[in-house]
Amino acid sequence: MIAKRADTESVKAEYRVIGKPLPRHDAWGKVYGETKYSNDYKLPNMLYGKVLRSRYAAARLLSIDTRDAEKLPGVVSVMTAKDVQNNETVTRFGQTHAVGGFEGLYRVLADKKIRFKGEAVALVAAERRDIAEKAIDLIKVEYEPLEGVFDPVAAMQPGAYQVGEDKSNVICSYKVRKGNIEEGFAHADVIVENTYRVPMVDHAYLEPESGMAWLDDDGVITIRAATQVIEHFRGVADVLGLPHNKVRVIAPMVGGGFGGKEDITVETYLALLVWKTGRPVSLTYTREESIIAHGKRHPYIMRYKTGATKDGKLVAMEAELISDAGGYVYLSPWVLLYSTVQATGPYDIAHVRVDTHTVLTNNTFCSANRGFGGPQPCFAYESQLDELAKQLNLSPLEIRKRNYLHTGDAMATGRVLEHRVETEQTAEKVLEALGPPSKPKSPPEKIGRGVASSMTSYGRMMFLHDTSRSFVSLDLDGSVTVRCGVQDIGGGQASSLAQIAAEILGVPLSDVNVYIGDSALTPLAGTTTATRQLYMSGNATLKAARVVRDNLLKKAAEILNTSPENLDLKDREIFIQNHRKDTLGLKKTDPECNVNYGGTRKAVVAVETCVDDDSDRVVALEDVVKACAAEGMPLFNVAQFNAPTRELIDFKTGQGKVFADFTFGTQAIEVSVDEETGKVTVLKIVSCYDVGQAINPLSAEGQLEGGALYGLGYGMMENVIMEKGITLSPTLAEYLIPTAVDAPDVETIMIESGGGVGPFGAKGIGEPSCVPTAPALANAVSDALGVRIYELPITPEKILKALGKI
Amino acid sequence: MDNTEYLRPSNLKELGQIMAGHKNRATVIAGGTNLIPQMRNGGKSPELIVDIGDIQDFSFIMEDDGFISIGAATTIAEIASSDIVSTFSPILASSARELGNPLIRNRATIGGNLANASPCADTALPLLALDAVIRILSPGDKTRNVVLNNFFHGYRFTDLGKGEIITRIIFPKPDDETTGSQIKIGLRNAAAISVASIAVMLTMEGKICRKARIAAGSVAPIPMRVSRVEQLLENQEISATLLEQCKAIMKKEISPISDIRGSAEYRSYVTAVILERNIQRALS
Repeated sequence: MIAKRADTESVKAEYRVIGKPLPRHDAWGKVYGETKYSNDYKLPNMLYGKVLRSRYAAARLLSIDTRDAEKLPGVVSVMTAKDVQNNETVTRFGQTHAVGGFEGLYRVLADKKIRFKGEAVALVAAERRDIAEKAIDLIKVEYEPLEGVFDPVAAMQPGAYQVGEDKSNVICSYKVRKGNIEEGFAHADVIVENTYRVPMVDHAYLEPESGMAWLDDDGVITIRAATQVIEHFRGVADVLGLPHNKVRVIAPMVGGGFGGKEDITVETYLALLVWKTGRPVSLTYTREESIIAHGKRHPYIMRYKTGATKDGKLVAMEAELISDAGGYVYLSPWVLLYSTVQATGPYDIAHVRVDTHTVLTNNTFCSANRGFGGPQPCFAYESQLDELAKQLNLSPLEIRKRNYLHTGDAMATGRVLEHRVETEQTAEKVLEALGPPSKPKSPPEKIGRGVASSMTSYGRMMFLHDTSRSFVSLDLDGSVTVRCGVQDIGGGQASSLAQIAAEILGVPLSDVNVYIGDSALTPLAGTTTATRQLYMSGNATLKAARVVRDNLLKKAAEILNTSPENLDLKDREIFIQNHRKDTLGLKKTDPECNVNYGGTRKAVVAVETCVDDDSDRVVALEDVVKACAAEGMPLFNVAQFNAPTRELIDFKTGQGKVFADFTFGTQAIEVSVDEETGKVTVLKIVSCYDVGQAINPLSAEGQLEGGALYGLGYGMMENVIMEKGITLSPTLAEYLIPTAVDAPDVETIMIESGGGVGPFGAKGIGEPSCVPTAPALANAVSDALGVRIYELPITPEKILKALGKI
Repeated sequence: MDNTEYLRPSNLKELGQIMAGHKNRATVIAGGTNLIPQMRNGGKSPELIVDIGDIQDFSFIMEDDGFISIGAATTIAEIASSDIVSTFSPILASSARELGNPLIRNRATIGGNLANASPCADTALPLLALDAVIRILSPGDKTRNVVLNNFFHGYRFTDLGKGEIITRIIFPKPDDETTGSQIKIGLRNAAAISVASIAVMLTMEGKICRKARIAAGSVAPIPMRVSRVEQLLENQEISATLLEQCKAIMKKEISPISDIRGSAEYRSYVTAVILERNIQRALS
């Protein structure tokens, strides 16, 4: 589907590379299957690692006997908790700024109490994969099974089974208090109160958790792994008791992250086995391990009570959110804080009371997943809004328009939205694009339409004092090198940096080479999480490229005998501004952009020529570079971008500023529902976001489409089914995600307000793009049938139950 | 898996000898789409695997003398794209197209789909409705035929004895008065395991149904014919009242279980819905 771009004219005209739909530099390698991922690397003498996992969800670990496994020919090493120097460790959430309070506690290898089924108990390294698998079976573990607790509400009760060694299963609770909630409901003409449930879901990336590590010549443990965070090198070094500079993490292209590779996965296991054996070790999780034993999106139980006046103005919202963190803390407190801040959605409500809790259970642990606490409350608050609209006889659009926050308004947390807020425009556009309603084909088929809006932060929480660094240099021939420690997880993270450098340094995109993802060799750029890389590393790259450009222009000004302000830089030439002009009549298709996008769009760029040819007004980039080099004028720069910072919010009231900015958007869905079978067919999704500025519209459009499908899976079918801590959906045969045949037409619309805090006014869209899909679907199904489903996923069976047919 | 032996005969004669000689330990593999995952998750550890992939006489689709014959090792993809199958048994073609995903269809075979005897075996339902017969090669070079309706004895338990192997599936070409319909309910539009499936074949004489074949999947321990519904339809004019009776009987005849894909109530309800829909479709 072709993206539409709105409001572009005034902003776009001045850019040359930014905003152009350029095929990504990494695209063809992926199409041809040439791109190498973590599991594609091998070294001579390499061993295969394997993890023994707990068979119980709740148990006391009594003893581990590894003797038989060690005797098996081909087994090189077997490790248990006693071999790990610092087994009780933390995932350092703030990699650049240590924050107290909660740090994501977990154990490298199980000790004392088993807290979820699949917890790592022992590691094996062997000459062959099958030997490693066999050795795992030979390790004798003695457990004392314990009763466990599997429901977060039960786990909160006094006297509940304790998942860990602490006194309470409640990890943390937050509050938001605004106005007077009783007074608010007293002013309400209509109040709706419902309980919503959302399931545990998996990231289901193509590439499971994977890596290969070796001890390099310099004695550094070098880990090449599929990760969103190369800066886990510090956490890995801490586990082994090594200086941080003795562990290096390299991230090649990652086959999908979605938050699942935000926590450490295979890295520590690899480092332990490499340190013990001195040999390279490879370890890739099976799909079952990935689903059973790695972090998931938190299931929530959410009670929402929402009140509005008869004019449709929201006056009070009371929400209680309980999240199931599973067996270990990991990022649960932060995911919950995101949910807390975003619990009221993009709406202005005078009286708010939000209480949230995240609770340990003996289920698979939960941590980061695309949207990071955003999708769960969005399902609830957007369902509530449609329920109110129905009672008030208002259209879903109308009730939203009467309540959207606008630029300059304050959220329930008191934070004033000082940057652009275009939610209303996104809502109008999606409904307009949805067009006239489809006609039902036959009697049991009902057509329904739903809409949902969301606000989702981009960039990390401000009290983490986030930073990113990027290096930009010009070589003697005018080609550009960017070194930036981003992890490219498929979103075009590296390509966007190349575009920014090309724009600023006046070279074609093909002249830029980007080195990414190496904790030893590329400046540290922080995590590819929190929809932060374009914002953070884009700004860092912009800053570095501008320093290089300033130096170039300074030298060029000397050559051309003018001042730098008069100069512009383009197509590898530096020239006095207004000297060249666009010959608008003459257009041709740029070979680099000569791709037919779906048959309707060709990228066309203006060909520019010099109106005259006097060399005293134009100088080639290469000549300026050489002149700089001769004089020792630096044509490189390492820049650090510091995000704006705030200290922690007031946890008694939830008042304060947690995020730098938000991305606002709306999705609309049309469905056809078969009333007899309960089957939902999604006919169309329209997704509209204010992206601030699309750096590469193709990548941005890809994010919007992918986000909609990610959200659709959440709405329709995804569900990690657990029974007493046992995963009943451990493979992709049971854990269902939408296939190509389930994917509807997704139309994307981008508003480019230029009002974001990223480079060129960009906002982040990686996570925001998946947030409102499930509630839009729920609202569409409710519109079709007149009954509401309060629990995701919306399955045919739940629909038939809601209709009273079963 | 370490001690598993592997043999790959190149013709039916060799196969017969191997099966007879190792009848207590031979496990036949064709596409491997069932066996390999079962071996991986520790559910099966066969002593001897006999791979029939090299036997050319095993893969064919023939139209001959009023019958369609399909070799046991014919892949699901071949069946899905066969003109013969599409022409004479469109419900088998559409069931094949809905089985698994393209990777599975390229490897999985029709013989394997039947021998595995899953209650949700996609091709079993149209074949039951088509009155298919299974030809079996027994030790000692003997051949016997079993009506498919008598082939499934219980949950993953078939009529195949030790050392026996399916060689082909045969069914009569339906006449011009006979039409069919097939509906599979899954939890998504592709690569879905059946939650409930029905295949029907109806022979009509004017408004009167002369012969009815109804097969139901994923609602009993075996893919089953639902004879009581067939009897109700045969020699009757198909009316709305009759359809309601059929639905009621259908719910009594099946014995669905609740699992992660759906509850027994849901299966029961939706089976009745698709029974009616199939009959209406077959008649239209």
